[in-house]
Amino acid sequence: MIQLEHIEVAYGRERPVLALESLRIAPGERVAIIGPSGAGKSTLLRCLKGFVRPRRGKVEVLGVNLACSGQSARRAVNQRVALIYQQFRLVPRLSVLENTLCGRLGHTHRWRSLFGWFTPEDTRAAWAAIIEVGLTKKVHQRADTLSGGEQQRVAVARAVAQEPELILADEPVSSLDPAWAADVLELLTTVQSHHHATLVMTLHQPELARGFAQRVIGLRAGHIVWDGPAGDLTDDNLQALYGSDQSNYVPFRHDATA
Amino acid sequence: MLAALTLAALAWSVVGTETSFASLHRALPNMSAFLHRMWPPDLSWDTSEARPFSPPLRLAAAAVAITLQISLLGTALGAVGAVLLGLLASENLTPHWLHHPIKVFLALVRSLPIILLALLFVAAIGLGPMPGVLAVAVHSLGMLGKLYAEEFETADPGVWEALDGAGANWFQKVRFALWPQAARQIFSHTLFRFEMNLRESAVLGLVGVAGLGLWIENYRRAFDYRSVATMVLVTMLLVLAVDQVVFHARRRLK
Repeated sequence: MIQLEHIEVAYGRERPVLALESLRIAPGERVAIIGPSGAGKSTLLRCLKGFVRPRRGKVEVLGVNLACSGQSARRAVNQRVALIYQQFRLVPRLSVLENTLCGRLGHTHRWRSLFGWFTPEDTRAAWAAIIEVGLTKKVHQRADTLSGGEQQRVAVARAVAQEPELILADEPVSSLDPAWAADVLELLTTVQSHHHATLVMTLHQPELARGFAQRVIGLRAGHIVWDGPAGDLTDDNLQALYGSDQSNYVPFRHDATA
Repeated sequence: MLAALTLAALAWSVVGTETSFASLHRALPNMSAFLHRMWPPDLSWDTSEARPFSPPLRLAAAAVAITLQISLLGTALGAVGAVLLGLLASENLTPHWLHHPIKVFLALVRSLPIILLALLFVAAIGLGPMPGVLAVAVHSLGMLGKLYAEEFETADPGVWEALDGAGANWFQKVRFALWPQAARQIFSHTLFRFEMNLRESAVLGLVGVAGLGLWIENYRRAFDYRSVATMVLVTMLLVLAVDQVVFHARRRLK
């Protein structure tokens, strides 16, 4: 599914923000990436999406090496990988249904979609996605009038409508309050297992990673410092990961995962 | 320093244009005679009396129609072109070698006064409404292209990236990421420009474009100042009416 080897990612001539020897993620895995701010978590996800190219190394996603393949191959993989953002990035003024249909843009007829004409198959997929995220009562409501948690649900619906094999989520719950955060992560894991997809998410709070992921990868200064089953992650490991940088360490809180 | 420069520039202008209260005072009898000749506006409907042109009220409806048609069609043509050039002129959508020359082109088009454009089109095409349509369209293109490009440039790039990640192609991203964010402002700018164009196309009669302006010019040349007054009043009413419609339409777009 995912295979990274000897990659080095840098912006400009700066020293690399991400330098990984080797990382493999198997199909169907549910992985959380944690670590202090600036550890390279987002860069890793953008690398897997093909938005960022490594200076060197191999980034193989769904059988395509994103580090050196041409435009058309990257585009083909692009559609099979969905990315969910912290800020939702929904289209303002469009309804929940229209936003979900945006996830079909890679599948549907290119020219017809410009007139807002989608195939019955697209509409069916969008409705199924909306039912899955539980927003049937708000299908025609404008997405920017919804609460943060509901907006993130629309973003998940858009990702589901895309029919991805790999779902990436970049801090999906960092702008939500704890109740909504648990709710959205619950939804993400349900969607992932229902569609037999692989889920890789970055999380700011280690206790959410322990609660919702099977495998946790700890990044610090662009390197993997911890990689193992979520159950094996101890408070000592977290101390080592976040170090003395207490500002980034969010204390363990059991109630959020309950 | 700035104040001194401004005063100097104003003094220079006063001397150059020979503007003074004294000459204004000397012109007063002339002005009052002129206003007197315009009063009362000619509201007759009778065609039996011999005169160079029909009474103004008989011509007003057709003149209003042609002026409206020129501004509607000119604005529409300009707006369609402006959407295309506006997209190509957006810094976030096209490379520098493409958006820069297009921005310069739009600025050049804008820099020509509309009456000069109309003069050129009348010379190239001949008298009638069409040179007016083209002049209005070209001048609108220059202004709307720039305004549309600014709307596209201020749209949230995050949405663009999100739809890119969903597999959308360039046209789909323009349609679904940019258009919903820019459409209201684009309609608002277009309505504003339509209102401007209506005023402009009333003036274009001076260089031979059909419409209200042409009749004002015709009556003036025939020294029929009472009919000039009627046509000026009709123009004012039309502009005020459209101004109100556009004002309410734009407020609803807010």
